[in-house]
Parts: sequence; C-alpha cells; structure tokens
Amino acid sequence: MSIEIGLCLALSTLLFGIGAGGFLLRRNMLIQLMAIEVMLNATNVALVSINRLHPGDHAGQVFAFFVIAIAAAEAAVGLAIVLGFFRVLRTVETDQADQLKH
Amino acid sequence: MSTVMAVSPFLLLVAAGLAIMLLDAFVHERAELAFVTAVSLFGAAALAGAGAIFGVHGPLPSALTSYLAIDRFSFFFQSVICLGGAMTALLAGGYLPEHRLDRGELYVLILFSSVGAMVLASAANLITLFIGIETMALGVYAMAGFRRTSPRALEGAIKYFLLGSFAAAVLLFGSAMLYGATGSLDFAGITESIRSGRADVVMTAIGLPLLLIGLVFEVSAVPFHQWTPDVYEGSVTPATTYMSIAVKTAAFAILVRVLAVSFGDSVSASVSTGWPAVIVALSILTMLYGNFTAIVQSNVKRMLAYSSIAHAGYVLVGVAAISRVGELAVSATLYYLLAYTFSNVLAFGSLIWAGSRGKEAVSYDDIAGLGRRHPGVGLAFSVGVLSLLGFPPTAGFFGKYYVFNAAVQAGGGFVYLAVLGVLASAVGAYYYLKVIVYLYMREPEEDAPVAVPMRSGYVVAALLIAAFGVIEFGIFPGHYLEVALSAAHQLLG
Repeated sequence: MSIEIGLCLALSTLLFGIGAGGFLLRRNMLIQLMAIEVMLNATNVALVSINRLHPGDHAGQVFAFFVIAIAAAEAAVGLAIVLGFFRVLRTVETDQADQLKH
Repeated sequence: MSTVMAVSPFLLLVAAGLAIMLLDAFVHERAELAFVTAVSLFGAAALAGAGAIFGVHGPLPSALTSYLAIDRFSFFFQSVICLGGAMTALLAGGYLPEHRLDRGELYVLILFSSVGAMVLASAANLITLFIGIETMALGVYAMAGFRRTSPRALEGAIKYFLLGSFAAAVLLFGSAMLYGATGSLDFAGITESIRSGRADVVMTAIGLPLLLIGLVFEVSAVPFHQWTPDVYEGSVTPATTYMSIAVKTAAFAILVRVLAVSFGDSVSASVSTGWPAVIVALSILTMLYGNFTAIVQSNVKRMLAYSSIAHAGYVLVGVAAISRVGELAVSATLYYLLAYTFSNVLAFGSLIWAGSRGKEAVSYDDIAGLGRRHPGVGLAFSVGVLSLLGFPPTAGFFGKYYVFNAAVQAGGGFVYLAVLGVLASAVGAYYYLKVIVYLYMREPEEDAPVAVPMRSGYVVAALLIAAFGVIEFGIFPGHYLEVALSAAHQLLG
C-alpha cells in the first residue's frame, strides 16, 4: 500500500506551519525550542517522502539522518543557553529578555 | 592535487581544535592558547590562500567534490574566514585575561566555528550547506553567551539562538523544497535541472525564497536584522568581532554561489522578476536602515553593529549586480569582504584596546580625548573607522569603489542603486567621523570614570596585522583583485 507523495508533503507543510506558528506565538523558550524541533522533523518528513520519487539513491534519507543529528546538537546548545538564562534571571519567558535596548 | 591537500585547511583546524581542548587542562596561561589558535588559523589561511592563488590542479574524487567545492572561490573565502578568525583569537588572548574571563573554550569555539564557516563557504551540496551553517552557528551561539553570569550576554545569546535556529529551520525546509523541485541535493544537479527547465516551478518558487531567508538572516540584512544590535552589544567583544566578519563572509560566499551558479539562468536571474529584484530591495532597505540607525546610537559597540548591517547592504549591491556583470561583480564582492574583515577587526580591536579591567570602553564618552592621551589607540581606531567609511587610500575605499563600479557597469536601474549606495555611505561619514571627533577633540567630563587602555601584546599584534592589511589592500588593491577575479572566473566559468 502506498501513500501519495502529495499527502506526505501536505502533512510536512502542516507540521512545519504548526512549528512555525508555535515558535512565533509562544513566549516560553522551552516551548519555542520544541517548536523548532517540530519544524526540523516536518522537514524530515518532506525529505524522506520526496526521496521515494528518486528510488535510485538515498540522498533525501541520508539528509534526514544528518538533520536528526544536528537537531540533537542544537537542542544541547539551546538547553545550555536556556539553563544559563534561567540561573541568572529566574525565568524562561522571552518577554523578560528586554534589558538590551532596541 | 591530492584529496588531503584539498581539505588541508579543514584538517589543520580540526586537529588544532582537538589539541587545544586537551592543552586547556595543562597550560597555566590561557593566553598561550590564543597563540596556538592564531598560528593554526594563520597556517590554514596560508594553505587556503595558496589554493586561491595557484589554483586547483588534477582530478579530485567525486565523493569529495559532490559535497565540497574545491575551487579558487572556496579557497579565497576559506582564507578570509581563517584570517578573520586568527585576528579574533589574538584579540581574545588580550581581552579574556584582562576581564577575568580566562577560559579556553572560546578558542576552541573559534576554531570549530571557522571550520563550519569554511564548510558553508565551500558547500557543493544542500547537506553540506546545512551542516556548515549549523556547525558555524552553534559555535557562535555559545560564544555569544560566553560571559555566563551576565544577564545581557545571556539575553543576547538566547535571542540569537532562538532566531538563528528558526532561520536555519526555514532554510532547511527551503532546501527540502528545492530537492523536491529538482530531484537532487548537490548544486551541480540542481543547476542542471534549473537550466534545462525540468525543475518544478512551484516548488522552486517556494524553496529558493526560504533558502534565501535563512542566508540573509546570517548576513543580517534588513528585515532579518533585529537580533544583530542586541547580540553584538551583549556578547564579549572578540565574539562580536567574529560574528561581524566570519559569519557574514561565509553566508555571503554561499549566497553568491547559489545565486550566481545554480540560479544564474536567464529566468531566475531576470532583473525584473527573478532574485535580483529581491536582492536589490533588501540592499536598499539594509543600506538606508543601517546607516540612519547608526547615527542615533550613543554606544560605539551598537554603532558598529548598525554599521555592520549597512556594510551587508553594500555587499548586496555587488550580489545584485552579478545578474548582469557576473565576474566583475563576484570579484568586487570577494574583495569587499576581504577589506571589510580587516577594517572591522581594526575598529572592534581598537574598542577592545581602549578598555581595561573594570571599565570597558563602550560609549562615545568613554573614548573622549583618548587619541591625545594614548596616540596608538587613537591612530588604530581612526584608521579602522576611516576604512569602514571608505576613505582613500584604505582597503574600504577600494571595496566600495569596486562594488559600486560593478553596479554602474551593470547599467540600467543598477546605476541608481550605486548612487544610493554612495549617498548612504556619505550618511555613514557622520557616525564614523564622530568617533574621530571624540578621540581627538573632546575631553572626558570632570569626574566621569575614564577608560584606560589595556596592555596586551596580543591585542597590539592583532591590530598591527589588521592595520597592515587595511593599508596594503588599499595601496596595492590590484594584486588582490586579480586573485578575486580568477576565483570569480573559475566559479562562473
């Protein structure tokens, strides 16, 4: 049973939209970090499904693996920065990050 | 040329980065690490520079070249990134001990970020592009939060991290769309597919703008610049220097490569409906916004942040002109980024030099009268801002000259763009000369705390190298433009 490519891409775009919306609307750094992860994984869905149109190689699937690895590295650095921010300012709300003038 | 030689700058820097992580446990003076870092970066710059001057000979395995472009263009950018990184490491060697931040991580971060920036600048594949941009950016996010007890530094770091990761995710989605449109991830396949018209038009039209958003975020072009002043102000000054030179240089390199090569066909590069129209619009916004906002700043570091936004606008003039006068515009862009790297190190480095423990120089008032009390600092700062302003015979002058000349040669509407660029730089004269006025013609307030310049051989060495570059590229621009021209020729050839 095969699922149509168009549906996979629609799912990917929907997930990406949810991630982007979450990032832009929420003010909690941890939620924003999760939203970015959703965006990256939405892209993985697109990469893997597009790869099915090109059965000769596995470029898209390989890319998805790299994205997973990089997302992990990004989460590590991101959580460290959020933790540092929380230690000093006792909050994880981006609204509180307003000391530097615009 | 063997594979090992082709990637020798990368190997050298990775080896140095690993070695410094170990050495950090054994050395007593962390500043020695700055020396090791700077030497390895200068070494890598020399290797890459040789590649840019003498070119690449002999066949290379396709397993390498389908991921990394090994050509004069990549080598030129690798060299510029390494030179910028090396001077930053020297500045850090003076700055960190002076401000009691003496930890070795910053040097490792500079090395690994430079490797990321070089991968980005040499990427020949969407996979390497993404890996490069993330490797570079993750290092820079950590650098931004280096002063980990300062709320301002952490605020800058979190802003940079969240917006940067968001931009990277957008770039990634754009890459996936381009993959869907063209069926390949390497630029050669994408180029082929776009030129032959086989690429899916709708997916290309979604993918390319998203990819561009990710890249122009890194060069801080308006309207993707909001993070820049805050991050630049909050970070330790050597990290700010690094962000303003290496990150921008690498992002411009890949921007030029993608637009000039993969989307260089007549439809995508059509001046009215293709990417040049978008780049021109970004360029105008960036030049005007950067210059006019820099005027009202009272903080020199923030002023330099807005000045770096304005400079991104000038480079975009060159990028836009690529659609009409390919080689001329590409070489002008290369030369501009080389000149900008040295000028910016000189300006930020002088700001570092002007402060010492307990009192960093940040505002205009902090540098009042400094030129007369400490002629060395005054001279270095003056040469730096004059080059950023584009005053002959400094490197900055020829950078602007070549870029605007390329726009004039491109003809049509680009002439107006060049005129606008010249007018915008004239606005820039106000805030750059304000630095010199404060240095030489103002005295500090009666009981205001006075910034005393630090004593550091590292900072002086970095400034001497930067000043040498600014003067050398300004007096003999022809040599370097020739190297840039041959790089441009090979890129477009």
